[in-house]
Amino acid sequence: MLDRKTEIWVALICLLAGLLTAILWVPFDSETPPIYDFRRQTYIGDAMLPMVAALGIAVCALVHLLLSWRRKVTEADGPFDKLTAAFFLCLFAIIIAAFVVMYWAGPVALALFGPSGEEAATYRQMRSTVPWKYIGFVSGGFILVFGITSLLEGSMRWKRALSSILAIVVLIVIFDLPFDTILLPPNGDF
Amino acid sequence: MSVLEYVWAGVLAVIAGPAAFEIFGLGVPITVLMVFGGFVIGIVGGATPGLAGPFLMAVSLPILLSIFGFTPDALLPVLGFLVGVMKGATVGGAVPAILFNTPGTPDAMLTTFDGYPMAQKGQAGKALRTAHFASVSGDTFSDIVLFTCAPFLAIAVEAYLGFGEKAALILLSLAFVAAVVGASPMKGMIAAFFGLFVAAIATGEDSYPRLTFETDFLANGVPLITAVLGVLILGEVLYAFEQMWRDRRVEKIKEVQQEGDQRLTWAERKRLFPYISVSALIGTGIGALPGIGSTLAATLGYATGDRMHKGPVKFGDGTPEGVAATEAANSSVSGANLIPVLSLGIPGNVGAVFLILAAESIGGFNPGPGVFRFTTSEVNPELVIAFGLFTAMMLANIMNWIIGGRIMAACGVMSRIPKQVLLPIVLLLTLTAIYVQETDFNAFYFAFAFAILGYLMRKLKVPTLPFVIAFILAGNLETSIRQAFAVSGGDSWFLFKSPLSILFLLIAVGVIIFFSRPKKPAANKAIAAERDS
Repeated sequence: MLDRKTEIWVALICLLAGLLTAILWVPFDSETPPIYDFRRQTYIGDAMLPMVAALGIAVCALVHLLLSWRRKVTEADGPFDKLTAAFFLCLFAIIIAAFVVMYWAGPVALALFGPSGEEAATYRQMRSTVPWKYIGFVSGGFILVFGITSLLEGSMRWKRALSSILAIVVLIVIFDLPFDTILLPPNGDF
Repeated sequence: MSVLEYVWAGVLAVIAGPAAFEIFGLGVPITVLMVFGGFVIGIVGGATPGLAGPFLMAVSLPILLSIFGFTPDALLPVLGFLVGVMKGATVGGAVPAILFNTPGTPDAMLTTFDGYPMAQKGQAGKALRTAHFASVSGDTFSDIVLFTCAPFLAIAVEAYLGFGEKAALILLSLAFVAAVVGASPMKGMIAAFFGLFVAAIATGEDSYPRLTFETDFLANGVPLITAVLGVLILGEVLYAFEQMWRDRRVEKIKEVQQEGDQRLTWAERKRLFPYISVSALIGTGIGALPGIGSTLAATLGYATGDRMHKGPVKFGDGTPEGVAATEAANSSVSGANLIPVLSLGIPGNVGAVFLILAAESIGGFNPGPGVFRFTTSEVNPELVIAFGLFTAMMLANIMNWIIGGRIMAACGVMSRIPKQVLLPIVLLLTLTAIYVQETDFNAFYFAFAFAILGYLMRKLKVPTLPFVIAFILAGNLETSIRQAFAVSGGDSWFLFKSPLSILFLLIAVGVIIFFSRPKKPAANKAIAAERDS
């Protein structure tokens, strides 16, 4: 169990979210109400399941709130602190950079170094050909794997760069070489 | 078809199914090959700290679906591979526990208590052989219980339960899983209700997809496999990243010279047998209940073995009986865990979740009471698949008996891969697996949204398993409730009309109240960790 204060906050947020969802979101974003009559027959409508779920969350959160309220006050660190924020800032910076490079590296490389003039081709036409199909996956994958490993270790090492490249090569061998129909990221988007 | 003919058809579907390739004119059946591949990968993954059976099953599933497609022919190879992984990972988890005091899988924590001291005394080989012998014995016993119990339970459920009772049974199962997994039943229930809610997005019977804010992004609903991988795997990866970043320490591995006779003689095996038998019974009993993990089985098996033990070396000081008691208990959970899956259609653990996902994705096999209809006039293809699955499990057991020990011994090197190197690769592997399934970058956004949800749930100690199981069962639950309501003629008390459904609902409430009472501190770290997870 977490400390009492955090448990109370968790319960309060779930209670509020459950109630708002049941009262506002579900009724206004479903075509039929929980119960409705159609041609003198009574039916369960599309709002029933989400409304029961949202009310269930609210009721359980209320019980949890009461149980947590009755607990003795405990002093403990909360689940999140400044370190959490700092870590996720760095982690998501790496992930976003990796995704941007993964998505755009292939088309940009093709535009810069690909055939030009009458032989010019779109990335969609070239997405299944070597080397274009690997550029995004290799460069984005490398930033992702090597970046996170370096973040976790607090240093950049050549050994880790090599192991990251090796891992990506293994993934290409697993996913791409044996199958003609499988597209590595981001080639399916083009 | 008679019962025996169904069993034989299932066996033939595996051993005489489509061939992958030929050796000297003899075809090697694709299902047998996949079981073998899954089994080897399972042992290697289980022996790698940071990976585990569910990780491997999660990552393999989209790849397998891409390879085999969505035809009924894909069912047995895909399920066979997943079963192989499940079984391989169970034995593989003992390798780093014995050699390096690092459990490869959470349930191998107790194996370190005696396995590692044995390795320190130069008896690592004997400890590995003991773990393998106990594990495979427990697993085989558990499978036999599954094969005999699941059909009878399924037939009883199909014969005696109507729509209302089935809906009540699903609610009971959800309540049970929510109550027993994690530290707080109320948080488990919140997770389960949240799973139902997320599953409701863009589903339903009306032409307008509900809860989508009229956006195209949500109009196709939440992709099932992406969401499950996000919460279970990527959420765990993010959580582990943060822990490693905080710890940032490297543990040096100390080599110990192994000496003496490393073999496990028949006399020694005979001496271990009572411990293995008792632990297998405990593990099978616990495994049949949804939601209760193998860690509890291992703990009870170890504690019972400790009470039975009269030998010169005490439990905890490096005795083979300690390793056997633990490994037999945690391995015998895996087969029995499939009893609720095959007889009720309710996944009881993470491994079973992926078997259900595979079956649902491919189609043509809906695990549940409907599978075991022994129709005589026409062939029930689902029943043939069920017996094919049993055959695949037995094949994996046979492989485990014959070569499992040797593969285990060769996997010690995997324990040396640092987690900070392995987990980023697992992240890319999971993302790639998701992409080959969805072929859309949007899948990454869904995956990360669910990864953050999974991370937050772990940090706030809200169990993830009730969320995933509710998410998967939501469709069946809604259908059963709609049908029960229609059959009752629109009666608001439709769930309370039969004594059996009232009983199920009362038990559900009773389970939640029982597990909500204040708990005593757990006797050991493993149980405490499982409670808090």
